[in-house]
Amino acid sequence: MAISWRTRLHIWFRLLLLQASWNFETLQGIGFFYALFPGLRKLYGKEKLPEVSLKYIGYFNTHVYFAPLVAGAVLRLEEDRASGTVVPEVEIDDFKEMVAAPYAAIGDAFFWGGLRPLVAGVALFFAVKGILWAPLIFVLLYNIVPIWIRTVFFSHGYRHGLKSVEFIQRHKLPDLAIHTKEAAVVILGGLSAFMVFSQLTQHQLPSWLGMLTLIPMVMLGLVARKGISTLLLVIITVSAIFLIGLFWADVVQLMVF
Amino acid sequence: MALVLVRIDNRLIHGQVLEAWVPFIRADCIVVANDNIARKPLQKLMMQASVPSRMQVEIGTVAEAILLLNSPQLKKRRILLLFGTTADAVRAYQGGLIYDRLNLGNLQAERGKARLSCTLFLDPADLDDLELLDQAGVKITARCIPADGGRPWRKLIPVTKRETR
Amino acid sequence: MTLSLTLGALVSLICGLDRVAILQMMVSRPIVAAPLTALLLGEPLVGLQIGVMVELLWLARLPVGAAVPPDDTQVAIASSVLVIALGQSLDASGTELLLLCLFVAIPLGKVGQYFDRYAREYNVRLVKQVSSALSRGSFLAAEGQHLRGLISFSLSSLGTYAVIILGGWSIIPLLWPYVQQPLSYSSSWMQLAFPLVGITVILGTINVSRAITLFCAAFCMSFLLMWLV
Repeated sequence: MAISWRTRLHIWFRLLLLQASWNFETLQGIGFFYALFPGLRKLYGKEKLPEVSLKYIGYFNTHVYFAPLVAGAVLRLEEDRASGTVVPEVEIDDFKEMVAAPYAAIGDAFFWGGLRPLVAGVALFFAVKGILWAPLIFVLLYNIVPIWIRTVFFSHGYRHGLKSVEFIQRHKLPDLAIHTKEAAVVILGGLSAFMVFSQLTQHQLPSWLGMLTLIPMVMLGLVARKGISTLLLVIITVSAIFLIGLFWADVVQLMVF
Repeated sequence: MALVLVRIDNRLIHGQVLEAWVPFIRADCIVVANDNIARKPLQKLMMQASVPSRMQVEIGTVAEAILLLNSPQLKKRRILLLFGTTADAVRAYQGGLIYDRLNLGNLQAERGKARLSCTLFLDPADLDDLELLDQAGVKITARCIPADGGRPWRKLIPVTKRETR
Repeated sequence: MTLSLTLGALVSLICGLDRVAILQMMVSRPIVAAPLTALLLGEPLVGLQIGVMVELLWLARLPVGAAVPPDDTQVAIASSVLVIALGQSLDASGTELLLLCLFVAIPLGKVGQYFDRYAREYNVRLVKQVSSALSRGSFLAAEGQHLRGLISFSLSSLGTYAVIILGGWSIIPLLWPYVQQPLSYSSSWMQLAFPLVGITVILGTINVSRAITLFCAAFCMSFLLMWLV
């Protein structure tokens, strides 16, 4: 028995609410059940449905954008099992467990670690210039890949079932994530230069001073690597600037005039 | 061999390990000691595929991990060692894999397990395991990611006794 | 005033849910949330400035697995509301007010982390309720329980928003007369420092070997290009 495209669409929309009941015990477990339920209802009779559902609400966690891929593949496996193609029931559970952590690792690295800082860096160029479209640029640029992954990979998973994992071995996605992060670092370097340069021009100060900002930035970067919290770094930097400002205003200007 | 982090995490290799711990401790090799995964080739392959290719990944049973880590093979590497359960950690320690610090990451909720912190659920057997390691001089801290403050595991215990579920 | 606070709360709710519970379209990022709030309150440029300052601060804190980062969304939204609404009632404006609001809001963003954690802990009881509903065979109830999780996340977002607004409303008017003058000597430099500190934290924690070298090269090249061309 095949699951109609209507039901699949329903499931896809429900996947957008995957983390609505995120909790420390089963993480996305309930959400995954909630998303798949329209499909499960079609495949199981009234007597078996509660038992199957109870199995689905258990521990599950993957990256939100990769969840449709898992859901699609699980749907295919359930459908195969229902139509009589021999898929032992354990295999579906094993499959969920097998792909959850690797997809989570890849998604975290690519989206949170790479794409988000990259697009934020690009959008901030516009924002620093005072262009009001910057937020829109951020949202549009960022969402291209997630929307693509969520839609295309959902049907990819549904079409290929167990075999849907092959793409990850073919495409070396973790290395792609590293390249994205490198690009993000370069963009952030350009952004810092841009912000410092604009500031100096605004205050009509000599431009070479800007190169000096690299020194505190590298120092702070090395400190941050030791695990010092952002809050502390902000407090330190801001108080330093504040004191220099006070000193400049009180002492230096009094001496000059 | 430089064992820079020994961690118990039921999810083994995932985002917290790769994105938060690896850059923090600058590890270049991950060793996973888990009998369950070692027996399943596809699962092993998936796990390896989730790690960037510049990092070395070794996945094996606890016994294999002990051998590997005590051999000179990984001498120049900065190693992150992952266990799935406290029992594995004890087994490795007693099997001759000596470490002096142990990080508690995630241990998922199961029937009969009590909550130690947001991400740590342990049963009495787990606590006994930790007690054993503690007696042997291993410093055990609960710390999900480097940005969280680490807390010594003993400080977490009263919480468990209050809310046994 | 009431209108401003309500509009802020509305944005806080929508963006707060986008953080974890639904969609993840990243409208919860400060660079989107702050200008959106400020646009509704009529001063979009203020929001843009706040967005630039807050966006990068905690960008390095990834929501990996069960790790909960500080709530930068509510910091951005609430400080936009504070700058605009409180600015009108104090008859104050400018970078100095913006900075003061952020100094108050950023530490309170840590509270958001606790609220968020509490919401996720509260949701643990849904597991039990869903499984008992399923055992009874009432699937509609089980689905409803899942959506009930939205309530805890909404409350956590609105709670953080309220704490920052209340904190700001009670502290900022007291401090403002004293800090306005001293802040004015260095305000534009502090404004620049916020995104730069955020960038250094990203550099320190990003999983890229030689991130700092790459950063310095990119910085020097862009800087020289702007300077010499």
